[in-house]
This record gives sequence, structure tokens and C-alpha cells, in this order.
Amino acid sequence: MPALVMEGVRKVYRSGSEEVVALDHADLVVGDDEMVTLLGPSGSGKTTLLSIAGGLLTPTEGRVVVGDQVVSDLDPRQLTAFRQRQVGFVFQSVNLVPFLTARENLTVVGELAGRPRRETGEQADRLLEELGLSHRAGNLATELSGGERQRVAIGRALMNDPKLVLVDEPTSALDTKMGEAVMELLRNEITGRGIAAVVVTHDTRMTHYTDRTVEIVDGRLQA
Amino acid sequence: MGSFLLAWREARRAKGRFGLLTGAVTVLVFLVVFQQAVLDGLVTEFVGAIRNQSADVLVYGEDARLNLQGSVVPPVAPEQVAAVEGVARAEPLGVAAVTVEAGGELEDATLFGHVLDGPGAPVEIEEGRRPERDGEAVASASAADDGFGVGDVVVVQPGGERIEIVGTARETSFSVTPTLFASYATYEAVLLSVNPDAPAVVPSAGAVEVEDGADPSAVAERITAEVEGVEAATRDRAADEAPGVQSVSQSLSIVLLLTYVVVTIVTGFFFLILTVQKQPTLTLLRAVGAPARSLVAALGMQVLLVVGGGFVLGAALAALVLRVASVGIEAGVAPAALVTTAAAVLLLAALACLGAARRITRLDPAWATLPGATPR
Repeated sequence: MPALVMEGVRKVYRSGSEEVVALDHADLVVGDDEMVTLLGPSGSGKTTLLSIAGGLLTPTEGRVVVGDQVVSDLDPRQLTAFRQRQVGFVFQSVNLVPFLTARENLTVVGELAGRPRRETGEQADRLLEELGLSHRAGNLATELSGGERQRVAIGRALMNDPKLVLVDEPTSALDTKMGEAVMELLRNEITGRGIAAVVVTHDTRMTHYTDRTVEIVDGRLQA
Repeated sequence: MGSFLLAWREARRAKGRFGLLTGAVTVLVFLVVFQQAVLDGLVTEFVGAIRNQSADVLVYGEDARLNLQGSVVPPVAPEQVAAVEGVARAEPLGVAAVTVEAGGELEDATLFGHVLDGPGAPVEIEEGRRPERDGEAVASASAADDGFGVGDVVVVQPGGERIEIVGTARETSFSVTPTLFASYATYEAVLLSVNPDAPAVVPSAGAVEVEDGADPSAVAERITAEVEGVEAATRDRAADEAPGVQSVSQSLSIVLLLTYVVVTIVTGFFFLILTVQKQPTLTLLRAVGAPARSLVAALGMQVLLVVGGGFVLGAALAALVLRVASVGIEAGVAPAALVTTAAAVLLLAALACLGAARRITRLDPAWATLPGATPR
């Protein structure tokens, strides 16, 4: 079963009487252990596609399925539960809760969702170990370097054992060397778990870390 | 649990910010509790003797406007009152401002003359006993050190009538003077000694005990309606509407109200500003699946933590100040008033934070994908 299926997905924003088409009849299938780069310039619609796939936005038209869940049919409350349990996010900008430690940033969502503290704590410890961050577990997010923050964010995205991880410009705030290290780590974590990922970037140097690349221009996916 | 952890971790790591607000709430609660205690103390100084005497209903002369010292009822009034439905017993009550020599000093006092085994006597005796014969009295406990203690003898001036203090009762001042609760005959003797030419001594009021199960306010209404020339009032109404009490209560209540308003504004603005500042973080949490209700619950925990902590500190500070500093009146922190104040402060703080809560529920998780996670 594919991790992500998008069929004829369209997203239109209204600005007064104007209509802005951010995504135009997008069709995309991502296999259950596939890692895909979504490449495109700023304003091409790649973040909109990512947001729709992750249940942050609802499409104007079309159908979105993650695993066996039809996401496009969910109401806002169901979408919150969906994001909590079935997808992992790594965002471009604000990525961590500044007043929490690295470990707490991993456990916070599980705790808010009512998962047992012991279970979330053990999982967080395992992930921090894998990510080479055990020694930074007790440091506040504000005390971490840019690369360490991205690694913690990757760990948080994996906390709920998602079917699909959605990554938005993971290297945009990092230098080339650090960006490559983060992509390498991301690939290892994703492929090692047999889960799928969509990585949005405008940096062509990072595309070779994924299984395939899909380009997007003006809201249209290129064949 | 998750909401509590989130709230606690943030507060613990932003000690300065949360400490400042807790400090502000502490000061405001201190002011509220202190003013409340002073207000209660002042009211007690004015009408404690009415509140803490045993008559369920007091019967005034119709022109007295609930002023005991300005009231005169016809001598037959108690008999007529006793005939009204719901009245178990009605006796004369005499109230007079007197000057006495107590502890070697001349002091103002108020003499309450009541039938010894009848209504109008102090409800509780703190020390000593009740008067058993003429010439004995129970005095206000607050004046015990000023020559009104058990065993002291006060001498009414002029006239020289001697009254022995055989007991004391708490919170029984009247018109900011100590009181002497004595027999009605003692009251008559004192007035005649001060004014030997007076043709007769008439009662100031009637003291009424209602029948078991009777509603005192209904009985008071019937007395007013059926007995000519009198106005009856329940004990609570007689205390609340006594001259001077209403104006003092109103003035201090306005100050109290303003303090409550300040508590509300300070708390509301603090959490609103905090929520606006944290918007990117809250949006991130919403985006990764934190339910809005959990984030609102975390806000509620912080309100409880800050306002609850500030309340405990402020109330403790007020109790300490009232204990060690002399405010000139008998003022203390009443547990019931404290509970009411705590409930009011928490409720107002919660209401004030509705704006912050509303902001949280309206966060769009999709903003997490925008640079800086700010709203479109």
C-alpha cells in the first residue's frame, strides 16, 4: 500500500475577488518505503502540497490518502489526531519549543496526547541515542546548534512511528556541510525504518539523497 | 498531565517573567485582603454589638431610621409586639452613650440594657460569665485592657453609678466605642443617675425573639405593619443599614472593586501578551498534533499557578501585617472572606484569560510552514 496518494488535488486561495491557484490538479504516489524530493522554486506550491499531505491544509478539490486514511475527508479535530499519530513533520523555520529540552521536545506531543510518560521517555531516549544527541538531551532548544536542532526535529518527527514524514526545506538554515550531514542522517533514519518521506527543497544539491525527484512549477507537478 | 508538565516547565524556565506576575498578584491580593479585613473591622466597630446580640429582630421608633441611639419606642410597644404572630418574646432594649471612668481614664462607652434572661444579650461570652444581677455587665473584649476587663469596675460619669464587669464578649463594639451589656434596670438606674430630673426612662428599642421556624424578616414586616409607630428590622438588616455603616462600606467597596479590576487587567494582559509572544511555538505544537484543548489547559494551569501562588503569598502577608501592625481596630482575616476572595480572584483571572484562550483555539496549524510561523 502506498504511503501517500494524491489524486487531482487542487488548492485555491481567494484574495478578494481574485483566485490564486497554489496547487493545480496534482497527482502523486509515494511508495511505503520511498523517499521523494519535491523540487521547485519559491512560490511554486511545494509547501502547499506538503501541508495538504500532512493534514495542515485541506484541498479545494481532490483526494488525499495517507496509508489507509482518507485525509481529505477529515474534519479539523480528526486532522489534529491524524497529525499526532500518522505523520511526522520537520519544519523549515520554527522547529522546536524553546523552553523545553531536547528530550522534552520529543516527548511533549505524546504527553499532550495522553501517552504514558514512561513509554514516550524511553522512545525519546532511543531516538536521541540514534541521532547522537544523548549528551544534549537535557539542553534547552535555545542551547543547541542549528544542526542539532534539525536532528532533534527529525527525532520528534519519528516519535509517533509515522507512515509518512514530511520535511520542509531541511537545509535552508544550514551551511552546505551541515546540510549534507542532516540529509544523510535523514536518509538513514527514514530508510532504516521502512517508512516514506517527502522532502521539499529548492536546493538541487540535495536531491541525490532521495530515491526520486518530482519537480513542481506554478502549482503543477512535472512529469 | 501533559498540559501540567508543559505549563510547569515553561514557568520554571521563565522564573523572572512568571515571578514578576506572581509578585504583582501577591501585592494586589494583599491589598484586597487587607482592605477587606479593615472594612470588616470597621463595620464591626460600628455595629458589632447588633450583629452579636441575641435578638432576631430589633424594633425601632418609626422616625429613628434604624439608628439605635436616636430611637425611642413607647413603653407599651414591647407588649404590642409580643402579640404579633411569630413573636416568641419581646422585651425592652435600652441603648445609651455614656462616659465612664475605666482604668483611671474617662472613656466613652455604649450601654445596652436588656432583660437578663431575654433577647438582646451578647450571643457568646469570651471570658467570665453573664450578668446575674443589676450592676453587673459584659463588656467588649477589645477594651479589656482599657479598664473593661473581668473584675474591673467602671463608674458612670456624672452620676457615679458603678458597674462591675463580670464577662467579656468579642466583636461587640458599637459606634466605635466599647459596650456594656447590663440589665435593663441597670440601664434605667444609669440614665436616672446621669439625669436625675428625667420624668421616666423609656426603651430605645424592642428586642424580639421569633418562634422556632419563623422567618425573622417576615416577622419584622408584620411588626412594622401591625404595631403603630415602630419599624422592625432583622438583626442583619439592622446592622447593614445602621447609620455610617453603609457609607463606610460603599467607600471601601469601591476601592476593593478597583483592586479587583486591576487584578483582572494585569493577569489578562500578561497572559495575552505571553500567548502572542509564544504564537510560533503554540502553532508548532498544534501542527505536530497537540490538541487545542491541551494548550488551553496548559494556559489554565499557569493561571492557576500564578494566581494561586500570588493569592497564598498575598493572603499570608496580609495576615502577618494585620497581626503585627496595629491598625487601630479589631481586624483579622476571616476564613470565609478569604475563600470568597480566592474564588473571586481566580474567577476574574480565568475570565481575563479568555482572550488568550480564544487566541490559542484560533491558531491555524498551517502557519507552522510559514517563515517565523506568523499568521497570514
